[in-house]
Amino acid sequence: MNKYLGNKLAITLFLLPALLVYSVILIYPVLQTGFRSFYDWDGLSEATFTGLANYKELFADPLLTTSLRNGLIFAAVLAFFQIGLGTILALVCADERIRGRKLLKTAYFIPVVLSVTVVCQLWIAVYDPTNGLINRLFDILHIPYQQNWLTSPTHSIIAIAFVNAWQFMGYQFALLYAGVKSIPEQYFEAATIDGCSKWQAHRHVTLPLMRETYKFCFTIAITSGLGAFVQMLIMTSGGPGTSNYTLTYMIYRYAFMESEYGYACAVSVLLVAISLLATVIINKVFDRKEV
Amino acid sequence: MKFPKSYTYGLAVMMLTTGLLTACGANDSNSSNGGNGSTETAGNSADGTETVKLKVYAQHFDDDTSKPFDYAVEELKKVMPNVEIELDPAVMDGYQKLKTYAATGNMPDIYFTDWSTLQTFAKSKNVEVLDDYEVTNSFKANMTSGTESRLVAPDGHVYAFPDTGIEFQLLYYNKSIFEKVGIATPIKTVDELAAAATKLKEAGYVPMSIFAKEKWIPRAFYAGFVTREDSNGFGTLDDANVKELPQAFITAAEQVKKLQEAGLFDVNATNTNYDQASALFYQEKAAMFVNGQWEIYSSQEKLGDKVDWMYWPAKDEATYEASKLFINGAGSPQGYAVSPSSKNKEIAVQVASILAQKSAEYRYSQLGSPIVASKTDKPIAGSVPAMMDRLAKEVLPNAQAYAGALNNTKISTSLEDNTQSLLINNFTVEQFVSELNRVLKKEHP
Repeated sequence: MNKYLGNKLAITLFLLPALLVYSVILIYPVLQTGFRSFYDWDGLSEATFTGLANYKELFADPLLTTSLRNGLIFAAVLAFFQIGLGTILALVCADERIRGRKLLKTAYFIPVVLSVTVVCQLWIAVYDPTNGLINRLFDILHIPYQQNWLTSPTHSIIAIAFVNAWQFMGYQFALLYAGVKSIPEQYFEAATIDGCSKWQAHRHVTLPLMRETYKFCFTIAITSGLGAFVQMLIMTSGGPGTSNYTLTYMIYRYAFMESEYGYACAVSVLLVAISLLATVIINKVFDRKEV
Repeated sequence: MKFPKSYTYGLAVMMLTTGLLTACGANDSNSSNGGNGSTETAGNSADGTETVKLKVYAQHFDDDTSKPFDYAVEELKKVMPNVEIELDPAVMDGYQKLKTYAATGNMPDIYFTDWSTLQTFAKSKNVEVLDDYEVTNSFKANMTSGTESRLVAPDGHVYAFPDTGIEFQLLYYNKSIFEKVGIATPIKTVDELAAAATKLKEAGYVPMSIFAKEKWIPRAFYAGFVTREDSNGFGTLDDANVKELPQAFITAAEQVKKLQEAGLFDVNATNTNYDQASALFYQEKAAMFVNGQWEIYSSQEKLGDKVDWMYWPAKDEATYEASKLFINGAGSPQGYAVSPSSKNKEIAVQVASILAQKSAEYRYSQLGSPIVASKTDKPIAGSVPAMMDRLAKEVLPNAQAYAGALNNTKISTSLEDNTQSLLINNFTVEQFVSELNRVLKKEHP
């Protein structure tokens, strides 16, 4: 084995095809996007170099504020529901005294394998202000809380984010459950001997030892929230008006509706930068020893 | 941390490759016209002439699009038997597939598209300028009156041969519901329409069903009111001197808001698609419906004599009478265009012209639609829906003005966003005006 690992030339040669493919399908488009963001370009005609003009325009664009705010709300809803609820469910399912754990585990994961379109259509029906399940339920229970779930310019983003959170909670649950199960049983036994209750043991043993899992879960949730798009497209077409826009929706609008590919590239660069920044911050937070 | 040399080499090779690819891609804008493999000379026909195969990208997804096209292709065979058409059915994607064809230098010989795409293609030289072709002159000479703006672009060039005339939106209403609820027709003023909305709502009907999830429809609804105040309609906003929203547009916004507040629309209007909205109207749960004149066939088929259309109301009766024959549709160019990279460009131009004219012939002779771009000698074959007949006799011959086209995409998109927002609570006319003013100032510095 050492003989093979010592041959650096062989390693380089074996890695090269994968690196080339990686370069072509990932690094090349990213660099092209960055490159094009300095141009005024409609996607077909010859591009004109405009320097930082696209970025100046972007930072003065009111859609950016809406999109960033929505992205953050979306990310917060995902983090809260998927990781918060996912943790509770993972801890419950890891408890061997709970009956029907296998059924619960399967049930939580079912929405993940459904098509996003199907899930969105389902929730459009649930959110319908006249005949939808939620308003009907409030009506039956005589709770005066009838809402226009998807047409409110301020609250519909939360309703939409919840759909994503509901659908992909099973994925986060699977990661968190695997994290819980990977912790050696002896740690819990030691904590119990020291007088910890079950929840104290989870608080002082399980959660700190799942730091790496949480790091990954938060990265997935936050970056998914910042780049959310499909649910808005299907459920509200970004509306009413532009109230449900996110950065990805901005990219879609400028590239495909207004043929401003250069400007759309600038938005893409910003999205990548924000996602990277979020990833770095999450890594820093979870790498701190006291966490 | 020290990297082994080989890792550094590997990374260097990767970066070099990426850099080269990036640089290679930098000049690809010029390659969009590079090649075209769509046209073929397929062989010889029975009479010994060479057969030419042309690829046509056209809409072909329902009766309204497939029947006129199929008819045109059959008619083409009689005139140009040596031409074989290979259909590439268009998808409803805002012409993204067509733009991808253009970007990859893989354009079909003939394609059907709208003015927005034609403008982009004109800039990138992906559309043949048809000004100097003989067939263009004969097409122009055979056009129905008032439809020239469908052929000649605002820049004076001809890019595509249109089949339809200037299309516009109508307010459809269910006569029997109106009678049942006790609403007198015609509704002439916005106040009358607001009062009708209240009555209909109290009677348990959705006053007007609108598929406002598609943003063009609230925009079209708003255009109807603008046209009552300004016959040029949205065309006014294309003027570079317009830096603030004119009063006609503010009045129209106030009228739409007033109607929204009177409960004209369903609470879920901005999240309702065509299928849902039309179902409400055809199941007689909604009393009114807004769509283009093409909806006449479906509505007459489903509701028979119960349905009719009305003119857009105005601020008062005098304005209504003075402006009811201002048409809210604008004549922007669209139709069958030809790719400059077609190997049989001359033939393709002729074929595009024939497809457009024969498609118009089908619409007129088989569907009885007078809203076509070209004249035809063929008589109307079947019975014409009463609403279309009314349109043909009452409106088209007496039309006083057609709205101007709005070519600025930014202003147009902003109108769509903000007219949709007008249909919801908590969005004010002031917000509408302020947002439009911001865009106008930016676009017309």
